[in-house]
Amino acid sequence: MISLREVYKRYRTDHGLGKWVLQGVTINIPRQCNVGLIGQNGAGKSTLLRIIGGIDKPTRGSIERRCRVSWPLGLGGGLQGSLTGKQNAKFVCRLHGHEDSLRDKLAFIRDFSELGDAFDEPVKTYSSGMQARLKFALSLAFDFDVYLVDELTAVGDAAFKKKSRQAFQGLADHAGLVMVTHDEKSLREFCQAGIWLHQGNAYWFDRIDDAIQSYKESMAS
Amino acid sequence: MSISRTPLDVTISVWKALFLREALTRLSAGRSAWLWLLLEPVAHVAFLMIIFSTIRQRVLPGVEFALFLAIGVIGFHLFKNSAQRSIGAISANMALFAYRQGKPIDSVLVRIFLEGVIQLFVGVSLLSIMALFGFDVLPNDPLRAITAWMLLWLFGAGLGLMLSVGATLVPEIGKIANLTFTPLYFISGVFFAPFMMPAVIQEYLILNPIIHGLEGLRSAFFRGYPNIAGISLSYLAVFSLLTVFFGLLLHMRFSNKLVTH
Repeated sequence: MISLREVYKRYRTDHGLGKWVLQGVTINIPRQCNVGLIGQNGAGKSTLLRIIGGIDKPTRGSIERRCRVSWPLGLGGGLQGSLTGKQNAKFVCRLHGHEDSLRDKLAFIRDFSELGDAFDEPVKTYSSGMQARLKFALSLAFDFDVYLVDELTAVGDAAFKKKSRQAFQGLADHAGLVMVTHDEKSLREFCQAGIWLHQGNAYWFDRIDDAIQSYKESMAS
Repeated sequence: MSISRTPLDVTISVWKALFLREALTRLSAGRSAWLWLLLEPVAHVAFLMIIFSTIRQRVLPGVEFALFLAIGVIGFHLFKNSAQRSIGAISANMALFAYRQGKPIDSVLVRIFLEGVIQLFVGVSLLSIMALFGFDVLPNDPLRAITAWMLLWLFGAGLGLMLSVGATLVPEIGKIANLTFTPLYFISGVFFAPFMMPAVIQEYLILNPIIHGLEGLRSAFFRGYPNIAGISLSYLAVFSLLTVFFGLLLHMRFSNKLVTH
Protein backbone atom coordinates (compact mmCIF):
# COMPACT_ATOMS: atom_id res chain seq x y z
CA MET A 1 0.00 0.00 0.00
CA ILE A 2 1.29 3.42 -0.93
CA SER A 3 -0.58 6.34 0.53
CA LEU A 4 -0.18 9.96 -0.41
CA ARG A 5 -1.77 12.57 1.77
CA GLU A 6 -2.34 16.14 0.64
CA VAL A 7 0.73 16.15 -1.59
CA TYR A 8 1.65 19.54 -3.02
CA LYS A 9 4.62 20.09 -5.29
CA ARG A 10 6.18 23.01 -6.99
CA TYR A 11 9.69 23.53 -8.28
CA ARG A 12 12.04 26.42 -7.88
CA THR A 13 12.83 27.78 -11.32
CA ASP A 14 15.48 30.26 -12.42
CA HIS A 15 13.02 33.07 -11.86
CA GLY A 16 11.54 32.32 -8.49
CA LEU A 17 8.96 29.76 -7.53
CA GLY A 18 7.21 27.86 -10.28
CA LYS A 19 3.54 26.99 -10.60
CA TRP A 20 2.03 24.34 -8.37
CA VAL A 21 2.38 21.09 -10.29
CA LEU A 22 0.44 19.01 -7.76
CA GLN A 23 -2.20 20.59 -5.57
CA GLY A 24 -3.28 18.37 -2.75
CA VAL A 25 -3.08 14.87 -4.20
CA THR A 26 -4.54 12.33 -1.77
CA ILE A 27 -4.53 8.80 -3.05
CA ASN A 28 -4.08 5.24 -1.84
CA ILE A 29 -2.51 2.73 -4.19
CA PRO A 30 -3.09 -0.89 -3.13
CA ARG A 31 -0.13 -3.23 -3.37
CA GLN A 32 -1.45 -5.75 -5.87
CA CYS A 33 -2.91 -3.33 -8.33
CA ASN A 34 -1.80 -2.21 -11.76
CA VAL A 35 -2.44 1.46 -12.16
CA GLY A 36 -2.04 3.61 -15.23
CA LEU A 37 -1.13 7.24 -14.63
CA ILE A 38 -2.49 9.48 -17.36
CA GLY A 39 -2.76 13.15 -18.08
CA GLN A 40 -1.63 15.84 -20.47
CA ASN A 41 2.01 16.68 -21.06
CA GLY A 42 3.21 18.63 -18.07
CA ALA A 43 0.33 17.50 -15.87
CA GLY A 44 2.85 16.20 -13.34
CA LYS A 45 2.84 12.48 -14.12
CA SER A 46 6.58 12.03 -13.90
CA THR A 47 6.73 14.33 -10.87
CA LEU A 48 4.15 12.18 -9.09
CA LEU A 49 6.05 9.04 -10.05
CA ARG A 50 9.30 10.48 -8.71
CA ILE A 51 7.57 11.41 -5.45
CA ILE A 52 6.11 7.91 -5.13
CA GLY A 53 9.56 6.51 -5.85
CA GLY A 54 11.04 8.66 -3.11
CA ILE A 55 13.66 10.40 -5.23
CA ASP A 56 11.81 13.68 -4.96
CA LYS A 57 10.15 15.14 -1.89
CA PRO A 58 6.76 16.85 -1.87
CA THR A 59 6.79 20.55 -1.03
CA ARG A 60 3.98 19.86 1.41
CA GLY A 61 2.11 16.74 2.41
CA SER A 62 3.32 13.26 3.22
CA ILE A 63 3.82 9.91 1.60
CA GLU A 64 4.06 6.47 3.12
CA ARG A 65 5.31 3.30 1.47
CA ARG A 66 4.34 0.13 3.26
CA CYS A 67 5.83 -2.25 0.71
CA ARG A 68 8.96 -2.54 -1.40
CA VAL A 69 8.74 0.05 -4.14
CA SER A 70 11.14 0.07 -7.08
CA TRP A 71 12.99 3.12 -8.33
CA PRO A 72 11.23 4.78 -11.27
CA LEU A 73 12.19 2.66 -14.27
CA GLY A 74 12.67 4.43 -17.55
CA LEU A 75 13.76 7.71 -16.00
CA GLY A 76 17.30 8.90 -16.67
CA GLY A 77 20.26 8.35 -14.38
CA GLY A 78 21.13 5.38 -12.23
CA LEU A 79 24.29 4.32 -14.05
CA GLN A 80 27.82 5.59 -13.45
CA GLY A 81 29.57 6.07 -16.78
CA SER A 82 33.12 5.40 -15.66
CA LEU A 83 32.23 2.04 -14.12
CA THR A 84 31.55 -1.14 -16.06
CA GLY A 85 28.08 -2.62 -16.41
CA LYS A 86 29.05 -5.30 -13.93
CA GLN A 87 30.34 -2.82 -11.37
CA ASN A 88 27.17 -0.80 -11.73
CA ALA A 89 25.08 -3.91 -11.27
CA LYS A 90 27.06 -4.88 -8.18
CA PHE A 91 26.54 -1.43 -6.77
CA VAL A 92 22.78 -1.53 -7.24
CA CYS A 93 22.60 -5.04 -5.73
CA ARG A 94 24.52 -3.94 -2.67
CA LEU A 95 22.39 -0.83 -2.38
CA HIS A 96 19.32 -3.01 -2.15
CA GLY A 97 20.91 -5.31 0.40
CA HIS A 98 21.52 -8.31 -1.86
CA GLU A 99 25.10 -8.88 -0.87
CA ASP A 100 24.48 -12.61 -0.33
CA SER A 101 22.87 -13.38 -3.66
CA LEU A 102 25.23 -11.15 -5.62
CA ARG A 103 26.49 -13.92 -7.91
CA ASP A 104 23.03 -15.08 -8.95
CA LYS A 105 21.83 -11.55 -9.52
CA LEU A 106 24.88 -10.67 -11.63
CA ALA A 107 24.47 -13.82 -13.69
CA PHE A 108 20.83 -12.99 -14.29
CA ILE A 109 21.54 -9.37 -15.23
CA ARG A 110 24.34 -10.33 -17.59
CA ASP A 111 22.15 -12.96 -19.15
CA PHE A 112 18.99 -10.95 -19.54
CA SER A 113 20.64 -7.76 -20.79
CA GLU A 114 22.42 -9.80 -23.53
CA LEU A 115 25.41 -7.51 -23.17
CA GLY A 116 27.95 -10.32 -23.39
CA ASP A 117 31.53 -9.08 -23.12
CA ALA A 118 30.33 -5.49 -23.04
CA PHE A 119 29.15 -6.21 -19.49
CA ASP A 120 32.78 -5.70 -18.42
CA GLU A 121 33.22 -2.46 -20.36
CA PRO A 122 32.56 1.02 -18.93
CA VAL A 123 28.94 2.10 -19.27
CA LYS A 124 29.96 5.31 -21.05
CA THR A 125 30.96 3.21 -24.05
CA TYR A 126 27.43 1.76 -24.29
CA SER A 127 24.89 2.78 -26.89
CA SER A 128 21.61 4.10 -25.54
CA GLY A 129 19.96 0.79 -26.37
CA MET A 130 22.56 -1.15 -24.42
CA GLN A 131 22.13 1.17 -21.44
CA ALA A 132 18.39 0.72 -21.55
CA ARG A 133 18.77 -3.04 -21.68
CA LEU A 134 21.09 -3.00 -18.68
CA LYS A 135 18.70 -0.83 -16.71
CA PHE A 136 15.76 -3.05 -17.58
CA ALA A 137 17.66 -6.17 -16.56
CA LEU A 138 18.63 -4.47 -13.30
CA SER A 139 15.04 -3.68 -12.46
CA LEU A 140 13.98 -7.26 -13.11
CA ALA A 141 16.65 -8.63 -10.80
CA PHE A 142 14.86 -7.56 -7.63
CA ASP A 143 11.51 -8.61 -6.22
CA PHE A 144 9.64 -5.42 -5.64
CA ASP A 145 6.03 -5.33 -4.58
CA VAL A 146 5.30 -2.33 -6.73
CA TYR A 147 7.15 -1.28 -9.87
CA LEU A 148 7.16 2.31 -11.03
CA VAL A 149 7.44 2.63 -14.78
CA ASP A 150 7.87 5.72 -16.93
CA GLU A 151 7.40 5.09 -20.67
CA LEU A 152 9.41 1.94 -20.72
CA THR A 153 7.78 -0.43 -23.15
CA ALA A 154 9.83 0.29 -26.27
CA VAL A 155 13.44 -0.67 -25.69
CA GLY A 156 16.02 -2.43 -27.84
CA ASP A 157 15.64 -4.38 -31.05
CA ALA A 158 12.66 -6.51 -32.07
CA ALA A 159 13.81 -9.68 -30.29
CA PHE A 160 14.62 -7.87 -27.10
CA LYS A 161 11.34 -5.98 -27.27
CA LYS A 162 9.47 -9.25 -27.40
CA LYS A 163 11.43 -10.64 -24.48
CA SER A 164 11.01 -7.52 -22.38
CA ARG A 165 7.32 -7.42 -23.11
CA GLN A 166 6.98 -10.97 -21.82
CA ALA A 167 9.03 -10.17 -18.75
CA PHE A 168 6.93 -7.09 -18.23
CA GLN A 169 3.76 -9.12 -18.46
CA GLY A 170 5.22 -11.41 -15.81
CA LEU A 171 5.84 -8.41 -13.58
CA ALA A 172 2.32 -7.15 -14.10
CA ASP A 173 0.99 -10.54 -13.06
CA HIS A 174 2.87 -11.00 -9.81
CA ALA A 175 3.51 -7.45 -8.61
CA GLY A 176 1.84 -4.08 -8.60
CA LEU A 177 2.55 -1.51 -11.28
CA VAL A 178 2.30 2.23 -11.45
CA MET A 179 2.77 3.11 -15.06
CA VAL A 180 3.08 6.37 -16.95
CA THR A 181 2.52 6.13 -20.68
CA HIS A 182 0.72 7.82 -23.53
CA ASP A 183 0.27 4.49 -25.26
CA GLU A 184 -3.38 3.52 -24.82
CA LYS A 185 -2.76 -0.04 -25.93
CA SER A 186 -0.24 -0.79 -23.20
CA LEU A 187 -2.44 0.92 -20.65
CA ARG A 188 -5.35 -1.37 -21.50
CA GLU A 189 -3.06 -4.38 -21.67
CA PHE A 190 -1.29 -3.98 -18.35
CA CYS A 191 -3.49 -1.87 -16.11
CA GLN A 192 -6.81 -2.35 -14.39
CA ALA A 193 -7.16 0.90 -12.49
CA GLY A 194 -6.25 4.41 -13.52
CA ILE A 195 -5.25 7.73 -12.04
CA TRP A 196 -6.05 10.79 -14.06
CA LEU A 197 -3.97 13.86 -13.31
CA HIS A 198 -5.74 17.06 -14.18
CA GLN A 199 -4.89 20.61 -13.12
CA GLY A 200 -2.87 19.50 -10.14
CA ASN A 201 -5.47 17.07 -8.84
CA ALA A 202 -5.53 13.30 -9.05
CA TYR A 203 -8.68 11.32 -9.72
CA TRP A 204 -8.87 7.59 -9.05
CA PHE A 205 -10.78 5.25 -11.36
CA ASP A 206 -11.29 1.60 -10.59
CA ARG A 207 -11.33 0.86 -14.31
CA ILE A 208 -8.67 2.14 -16.65
CA ASP A 209 -11.23 2.63 -19.43
CA ASP A 210 -13.10 5.19 -17.34
CA ALA A 211 -9.87 7.06 -16.68
CA ILE A 212 -9.00 7.14 -20.38
CA GLN A 213 -12.54 8.27 -21.13
CA SER A 214 -12.35 11.22 -18.72
CA TYR A 215 -8.95 12.16 -20.02
CA LYS A 216 -10.19 12.17 -23.59
CA GLU A 217 -13.28 14.19 -22.73
CA SER A 218 -11.15 16.84 -21.06
CA MET A 219 -8.97 17.01 -24.16
CA ALA A 220 -11.96 17.41 -26.44
CA SER A 221 -13.64 20.16 -24.48
CA MET B 1 7.46 -11.33 0.33
CA SER B 2 8.03 -7.82 1.57
CA ILE B 3 10.81 -8.08 4.11
CA SER B 4 11.23 -4.50 5.14
CA ARG B 5 14.70 -3.45 6.13
CA THR B 6 15.24 -1.11 9.02
CA PRO B 7 16.57 2.37 8.19
CA LEU B 8 19.88 1.34 9.75
CA ASP B 9 20.15 -1.72 7.50
CA VAL B 10 19.48 0.43 4.47
CA THR B 11 22.04 3.04 5.45
CA ILE B 12 24.69 0.44 6.14
CA SER B 13 24.18 -1.26 2.81
CA VAL B 14 24.29 2.14 1.08
CA TRP B 15 27.58 2.98 2.78
CA LYS B 16 29.02 -0.40 1.93
CA ALA B 17 28.01 -0.15 -1.70
CA LEU B 18 29.24 3.43 -1.98
CA PHE B 19 32.49 2.73 -0.20
CA LEU B 20 33.39 -0.10 -2.55
CA ARG B 21 32.47 2.00 -5.55
CA GLU B 22 34.39 5.06 -4.37
CA ALA B 23 37.41 3.00 -3.41
CA LEU B 24 37.37 1.35 -6.80
CA THR B 25 37.25 4.60 -8.75
CA ARG B 26 39.81 6.25 -6.47
CA LEU B 27 42.32 3.41 -6.67
CA SER B 28 41.84 2.41 -10.28
CA ALA B 29 41.60 5.87 -11.86
CA GLY B 30 44.33 5.80 -14.45
CA ARG B 31 47.46 3.72 -14.45
CA SER B 32 48.59 2.58 -10.98
CA ALA B 33 46.65 5.27 -9.16
CA TRP B 34 47.41 3.56 -5.87
CA LEU B 35 51.13 4.02 -6.44
CA TRP B 36 50.69 7.74 -6.99
CA LEU B 37 48.87 8.04 -3.69
CA LEU B 38 52.10 6.99 -2.02
CA LEU B 39 54.50 8.73 -4.39
CA GLU B 40 52.84 12.10 -4.00
CA PRO B 41 53.75 12.69 -0.33
CA VAL B 42 57.17 11.09 -0.87
CA ALA B 43 57.86 13.49 -3.71
CA HIS B 44 56.58 16.31 -1.57
CA VAL B 45 58.93 15.55 1.29
CA ALA B 46 61.88 14.97 -1.04
CA PHE B 47 61.23 18.27 -2.80
CA LEU B 48 60.96 20.24 0.42
CA MET B 49 64.10 18.52 1.73
CA ILE B 50 66.11 19.64 -1.26
CA ILE B 51 64.93 23.22 -0.98
CA PHE B 52 65.42 23.57 2.73
CA SER B 53 68.68 21.73 3.06
CA THR B 54 70.21 24.25 0.68
CA ILE B 55 68.70 27.49 1.93
CA ARG B 56 68.40 26.79 5.58
CA GLN B 57 71.11 25.48 7.85
CA ARG B 58 69.44 25.91 11.21
CA VAL B 59 68.94 22.57 12.86
CA LEU B 60 65.99 21.90 15.10
CA PRO B 61 67.14 20.42 18.40
CA GLY B 62 66.29 16.72 18.66
CA VAL B 63 64.26 16.76 15.49
CA GLU B 64 64.95 14.93 12.24
CA PHE B 65 64.08 17.42 9.56
CA ALA B 66 62.86 14.79 7.07
CA LEU B 67 60.52 13.28 9.65
CA PHE B 68 59.41 16.77 10.66
CA LEU B 69 58.44 17.43 7.03
CA ALA B 70 56.83 14.03 6.54
CA ILE B 71 54.54 14.53 9.53
CA GLY B 72 53.58 17.98 8.29
CA VAL B 73 52.83 16.75 4.79
CA ILE B 74 50.84 13.71 5.95
CA GLY B 75 48.86 15.71 8.48
CA PHE B 76 48.05 18.49 6.07
CA HIS B 77 47.10 16.09 3.29
CA LEU B 78 44.78 14.27 5.64
CA PHE B 79 42.96 17.50 6.37
CA LYS B 80 43.06 18.82 2.83
CA ASN B 81 41.96 15.66 1.04
CA SER B 82 39.07 15.04 3.43
CA ALA B 83 37.80 18.55 2.83
CA GLN B 84 38.63 18.84 -0.85
CA ARG B 85 37.37 15.45 -2.02
CA SER B 86 34.05 16.12 -0.30
CA ILE B 87 33.40 19.14 -2.47
CA GLY B 88 32.78 17.01 -5.55
CA ALA B 89 31.15 14.09 -3.73
CA ILE B 90 27.56 15.04 -4.43
CA SER B 91 27.91 16.00 -8.07
CA ALA B 92 29.99 12.89 -8.78
CA ASN B 93 27.25 10.70 -7.38
CA MET B 94 24.26 12.37 -9.03
CA ALA B 95 23.47 9.13 -10.84
CA LEU B 96 23.13 7.39 -7.49
CA PHE B 97 20.26 9.55 -6.37
CA ALA B 98 18.03 7.82 -8.90
CA TYR B 99 17.72 5.26 -6.11
CA ARG B 100 15.97 6.66 -3.08
CA GLN B 101 18.16 4.74 -0.63
CA GLY B 102 21.14 7.00 -1.25
CA LYS B 103 21.21 10.49 0.20
CA PRO B 104 23.72 13.26 -0.60
CA ILE B 105 25.23 13.06 2.86
CA ASP B 106 26.02 9.37 2.36
CA SER B 107 28.28 10.14 -0.57
CA VAL B 108 30.12 12.81 1.43
CA LEU B 109 30.53 10.70 4.57
CA VAL B 110 31.79 7.75 2.57
CA ARG B 111 34.37 9.89 0.78
CA ILE B 112 35.60 11.33 4.07
CA PHE B 113 35.91 7.86 5.54
CA LEU B 114 37.70 6.55 2.46
CA GLU B 115 40.11 9.48 2.52
CA GLY B 116 40.87 8.79 6.18
CA VAL B 117 41.60 5.14 5.42
CA ILE B 118 43.79 6.02 2.44
CA GLN B 119 45.76 8.68 4.30
CA LEU B 120 46.25 6.34 7.25
CA PHE B 121 47.63 3.75 4.89
CA VAL B 122 49.83 6.31 3.15
CA GLY B 123 51.10 7.70 6.44
CA VAL B 124 51.95 4.31 7.88
CA SER B 125 53.68 3.27 4.66
CA LEU B 126 55.70 6.46 4.52
CA LEU B 127 56.80 6.14 8.12
CA SER B 128 57.66 2.47 7.60
CA ILE B 129 59.81 3.34 4.61
CA MET B 130 61.57 6.00 6.67
CA ALA B 131 62.11 3.47 9.45
CA LEU B 132 63.93 1.28 6.92
CA PHE B 133 66.24 4.22 6.27
CA GLY B 134 67.11 4.39 9.95
CA PHE B 135 64.77 7.11 11.19
CA ASP B 136 63.26 6.74 14.61
CA VAL B 137 59.62 6.97 13.55
CA LEU B 138 57.83 5.68 16.63
CA PRO B 139 55.88 8.44 18.37
CA ASN B 140 56.93 9.38 21.84
CA ASP B 141 53.30 9.86 22.89
CA PRO B 142 51.13 7.58 20.70
CA LEU B 143 47.84 8.62 22.26
CA ARG B 144 48.50 12.27 21.52
CA ALA B 145 49.51 11.36 17.97
CA ILE B 146 46.25 9.47 17.41
CA THR B 147 44.22 12.30 18.90
CA ALA B 148 45.90 14.92 16.73
CA TRP B 149 45.46 12.73 13.65
CA MET B 150 41.77 12.14 14.36
CA LEU B 151 41.16 15.83 14.99
CA LEU B 152 42.84 16.89 11.75
CA TRP B 153 40.66 14.36 9.96
CA LEU B 154 37.50 15.53 11.74
CA PHE B 155 38.25 19.15 10.93
CA GLY B 156 38.68 18.23 7.27
CA ALA B 157 35.46 16.23 7.50
CA GLY B 158 33.52 19.09 9.03
CA LEU B 159 34.78 21.55 6.48
CA GLY B 160 34.05 19.00 3.75
CA LEU B 161 30.49 18.53 4.95
CA MET B 162 29.90 22.27 4.88
CA LEU B 163 31.64 22.83 1.55
CA SER B 164 29.83 19.92 -0.12
CA VAL B 165 26.50 21.61 0.51
CA GLY B 166 27.82 25.06 -0.32
CA ALA B 167 29.53 24.00 -3.54
CA THR B 168 26.52 22.07 -4.78
CA LEU B 169 24.13 24.95 -4.23
CA VAL B 170 26.58 27.73 -5.23
CA PRO B 171 29.37 26.33 -7.47
CA GLU B 172 31.54 29.42 -6.86
CA ILE B 173 32.01 28.38 -3.24
CA GLY B 174 33.70 25.20 -4.41
CA LYS B 175 36.03 27.11 -6.71
CA ILE B 176 37.03 29.61 -4.05
CA ALA B 177 37.56 26.83 -1.51
CA ASN B 178 39.82 24.98 -3.93
CA LEU B 179 41.88 28.15 -4.39
CA THR B 180 42.25 28.59 -0.64
CA PHE B 181 43.94 25.26 0.02
CA THR B 182 47.26 26.36 -1.50
CA PRO B 183 47.76 29.48 0.65
CA LEU B 184 46.55 27.45 3.60
CA TYR B 185 49.42 25.04 2.93
CA PHE B 186 51.90 27.85 3.35
CA ILE B 187 50.57 29.24 6.60
CA SER B 188 49.85 25.92 8.31
CA GLY B 189 53.41 25.15 9.31
CA VAL B 190 53.86 22.20 6.98
CA PHE B 191 57.47 23.08 6.28
CA PHE B 192 58.41 25.46 9.07
CA ALA B 193 58.32 25.29 12.82
CA PRO B 194 56.26 28.06 14.40
CA PHE B 195 58.73 28.45 17.26
CA MET B 196 61.34 29.65 14.79
CA MET B 197 59.07 32.47 13.70
CA PRO B 198 59.12 35.95 15.26
CA ALA B 199 56.67 36.42 18.11
CA VAL B 200 54.59 38.89 16.11
CA ILE B 201 53.92 36.28 13.45
CA GLN B 202 53.33 33.52 15.98
CA GLU B 203 50.39 35.47 17.34
CA TYR B 204 48.65 35.26 14.01
CA LEU B 205 49.80 31.76 13.14
CA ILE B 206 48.11 30.18 16.12
CA LEU B 207 44.73 31.45 14.97
CA ASN B 208 44.87 28.73 12.31
CA PRO B 209 43.48 25.50 13.77
CA ILE B 210 45.52 23.30 11.41
CA ILE B 211 48.77 24.48 12.97
CA HIS B 212 47.51 23.23 16.32
CA GLY B 213 46.97 19.80 14.80
CA LEU B 214 50.33 19.60 13.04
CA GLU B 215 52.26 20.92 16.04
CA GLY B 216 50.33 18.56 18.29
CA LEU B 217 51.29 15.70 16.01
CA ARG B 218 54.96 16.71 16.04
CA SER B 219 55.15 17.15 19.79
CA ALA B 220 53.69 13.65 20.05
CA PHE B 221 56.46 12.27 17.86
CA PHE B 222 59.50 14.21 19.13
CA ARG B 223 60.42 14.20 22.79
CA GLY B 224 60.84 17.74 24.05
CA TYR B 225 59.56 19.38 20.88
CA PRO B 226 59.36 23.12 21.58
CA ASN B 227 55.70 23.99 21.06
CA ILE B 228 54.97 27.69 21.10
CA ALA B 229 52.67 29.08 23.77
CA GLY B 230 48.99 28.65 22.97
CA ILE B 231 49.22 25.45 20.95
CA SER B 232 46.53 23.09 22.15
CA LEU B 233 44.58 20.26 20.60
CA SER B 234 41.43 21.51 22.32
CA TYR B 235 41.48 24.55 20.07
CA LEU B 236 41.41 22.29 17.01
CA ALA B 237 38.81 20.07 18.68
CA VAL B 238 36.45 23.01 19.08
CA PHE B 239 36.82 23.86 15.42
CA SER B 240 36.33 20.22 14.41
CA LEU B 241 33.15 19.80 16.42
CA LEU B 242 31.72 23.11 15.28
CA THR B 243 32.35 22.44 11.60
CA VAL B 244 30.99 18.89 11.83
CA PHE B 245 27.93 20.20 13.64
CA PHE B 246 27.23 22.93 11.11
CA GLY B 247 28.06 20.61 8.24
CA LEU B 248 25.45 18.10 9.40
CA LEU B 249 23.01 20.92 10.02
CA LEU B 250 23.46 22.22 6.47
CA HIS B 251 22.91 18.72 5.10
CA MET B 252 19.69 18.38 7.08
CA ARG B 253 18.45 21.78 6.05
CA PHE B 254 19.20 21.41 2.34
CA SER B 255 18.88 17.65 1.83
CA ASN B 256 16.00 18.11 -0.63
CA LYS B 257 17.55 20.95 -2.55
CA LEU B 258 20.79 19.09 -3.15
CA VAL B 259 19.15 16.50 -5.39
CA THR B 260 16.36 18.46 -7.02
CA HIS B 261 17.76 21.19 -9.16
